[in-house]
Amino acid sequence: MLEVENVEVSYGALPALHGVSLIVRPGEIVALVGPNGAGKSTLLKAIAGLMAVRKGAIRWESKRLDTQPPERIVECGVALVPEGRRLFGRMTVRENLELGAFTRRAQKERRHQMDRVYAIFPRLREREQQLAGSLSGGEQQMLALGRALMGLPQLLLLDEPSLGLAPRVVESIFSILTELHGDGMSLLIVEQSVHAVLALAQRAYILEGGKIVGEGEGQSLLKDDHVRAAYLGPLARGGAA
Amino acid sequence: MKSLLGGIVLAVGFAALPFFSARNDLLNLCVQIFLAIALAQSWNLLGGYAGQINLGHAAFFGLGALATRMLWVGGIPLYLALSAGAAVATAFGVLIGGPAFRLRGAYFAIGTLALAEILRITVGNLMPEISTIPASDLASYSILPRYYLTLAIAVICVVVVAALVPSRVGLGIRAVREDEAAAEASGVGAFRHKLLALAVSTALAGLTGGAYAHYHVSYYPQHAFSPAWTFDAVLISFIGGVGTIHGPVLGAFFYVILKEVLAVKLVELHLLVFGVLFILVVLFLPGGLVEAWNRARRLLTAKDA
Amino acid sequence: MILTQQLILGLLVGGLYGLAAAGLSLTFGVLRVLNVAHGELLMLGGYGAFWLFTGWRIDPFVSLLGIGPALFVVGLLLYWTLFQFVVKAHEEVRIKNSLLIGFGLTLVLHNLAIRLWTADERAVTTAYAGAVLRIGTLAIPLVRLTSLVLAFAILTALHLFLTRARWGRGIRATAEDWEAAALMGIPVGRTYLLAFALGTALAGIAGGLVSVSYSISPSIGLEWTLKSLIVVVLAGLGSLFGCFAGGLLLGLAEAMSVVFLGGPYREVVGLVLFLVILVVRPQGLFGGRG
Repeated sequence: MLEVENVEVSYGALPALHGVSLIVRPGEIVALVGPNGAGKSTLLKAIAGLMAVRKGAIRWESKRLDTQPPERIVECGVALVPEGRRLFGRMTVRENLELGAFTRRAQKERRHQMDRVYAIFPRLREREQQLAGSLSGGEQQMLALGRALMGLPQLLLLDEPSLGLAPRVVESIFSILTELHGDGMSLLIVEQSVHAVLALAQRAYILEGGKIVGEGEGQSLLKDDHVRAAYLGPLARGGAA
Repeated sequence: MKSLLGGIVLAVGFAALPFFSARNDLLNLCVQIFLAIALAQSWNLLGGYAGQINLGHAAFFGLGALATRMLWVGGIPLYLALSAGAAVATAFGVLIGGPAFRLRGAYFAIGTLALAEILRITVGNLMPEISTIPASDLASYSILPRYYLTLAIAVICVVVVAALVPSRVGLGIRAVREDEAAAEASGVGAFRHKLLALAVSTALAGLTGGAYAHYHVSYYPQHAFSPAWTFDAVLISFIGGVGTIHGPVLGAFFYVILKEVLAVKLVELHLLVFGVLFILVVLFLPGGLVEAWNRARRLLTAKDA
Repeated sequence: MILTQQLILGLLVGGLYGLAAAGLSLTFGVLRVLNVAHGELLMLGGYGAFWLFTGWRIDPFVSLLGIGPALFVVGLLLYWTLFQFVVKAHEEVRIKNSLLIGFGLTLVLHNLAIRLWTADERAVTTAYAGAVLRIGTLAIPLVRLTSLVLAFAILTALHLFLTRARWGRGIRATAEDWEAAALMGIPVGRTYLLAFALGTALAGIAGGLVSVSYSISPSIGLEWTLKSLIVVVLAGLGSLFGCFAGGLLLGLAEAMSVVFLGGPYREVVGLVLFLVILVVRPQGLFGGRG
């Protein structure tokens, strides 16, 4: 279980997160939605160890994460698929995947896990020796996801997985996420495409201005007026789901 | 205001010194200090205030020395020769400023170093013989005019930088150091300000070089282009307190005096010591001696309160 | 033919330029740290080979087996005591600070060498030092040829490490995007340490080869730092073999300037080339990044 407790994060002197708390129970899909600049990416980075936590605590399976460097956090089983993918563009698809299994724990399962990733994303096997920078948007997202999976995570953090992708591609990505969830993976997803993610998630939090302003069951939030007015736009207000 | 008063007192004090002591070694030491102040302060304007680390400072010092020496030995009045030296240095600075500033950070530093080295080698090849003051002037060589000349130049360097920094132009120059992209975006005109800082810095360096050429009886022309001059300027500025007015002055006193002290006991060790000090300053005390002094003062006044 | 002979000599020294530059390329490319004391580290390696030969009659090529690891350790120490503080800042500040720290380090190492070993020029002169391979009218000094071959072999080994080994790939990933690398579980601090130590070891090995193929003295530091910088800028970051080719190019350019402009301008041509590339094509001839 992921426990984020009253976490405060700042960019230098600028505060970004003020006392944020949330939980992700084992095997849950939780969505984190909110307007641009709310701090959603910041929170994921803080969990992954890329940003320092000034106050509060972050725990995964009762282990403190906020005091650890990023590499330890990956060893603990928490992996972040960052915004914009951040692939190693000048290295091949295969090399990117191999790098995903850098930790000692993941190294043992490397061959096996790579087969599994290729099974989930057959397109990647086709493009094995291609440079990651030359892949299409959808393929890059698949690679980013596959790369994160190579680290054998139990909790997957995703920052805007649908960014810049065509709807059909987003659909296939999300269905893969559902599959992973079916296998027992816990997911915390930050998304702009609110509609899609709220349909997928069991629970969701709303983050605004660095604070949690709402929480609820995914489906019910879709019907919540606050959410619909702010994020789903005029079309949704018409009443159609 | 207090600094201005202190500066005036210091300058007047040094101006009066020759009336109290005719010791040549003391006067020569002071000349070294004045040259060091001028050299460091000229570098400080570009390196400390504008944040552009110029590792080719010796080029401008050398050009000033070269032009002044050639003209003065050739019979031109000293003041004209000095002005010409400064002018040559400035012209060269402005000329390379355009392409040089297209290079960011490290590349600017190394680019200027490369430029200075090219000049040094070329001058060394074209003028390998030692340059000596003609016999007539040698007979009448006196330290006094040189003492006052270098004192004047040191004062000029400090005053010019001190006047420039708080002005509107100076503000623009300092904005470049803080965040070049932001300065550019806010219409400060980063390039113009960098170029201005470079022009003034090289002019002062050229002037200092001219004073050096006038002071030394004989030297190899290429020696004035040696990277050691740049190193001295950088060391003094940082150890004293880069980006401040007092820093180069404090640093110059510290540097020259410590050098003399160390030279007595351990030859050539001074650069090693200063290298270590420099690293310590960069890592732990970026404000140099000035910062150390301020902290000490605050500590003492806090105790009294 | 004078020209061909000079060109061959230029190629032979160019290989060492490439090796030295590769070390700098590694530290600059991975850590974004410009260690201008690189040449001093090369000088240390050279003195190591010299003293091992003079004191214990260890063949200089054999002593490389000791110098490499020794300079590797020196690199570890330097990173641990100095450069690890520099990498904490973001890139622009990092480069500026590393420049300054490297500058201080240069003064310290240079003057330490003068104190310890005097400013005299030294060279390792083995029994086979004069051996020459003759092809027609050309004379190819065997020692220098061996150095060239060794330099190439070392770079090949390094290339294999960077492409096949786990930590080698980790270094490349960190060079490209250190945050993404951290998210893979790559310990960025230790990767930096490794890259810096490797770069230093390369400098040391190059220095050992310089001491047997040419000569060393405390003042070769600045010279070799500049040469390495010229080649790194010429070749661009991110390619080891690019460094090697760049080194050869520099050697050839110098050789040609010796023939057509005369010896005293040998150094100038490299510096001019450097400035031209910086202004015209800052990402280098083979590089991926500027």
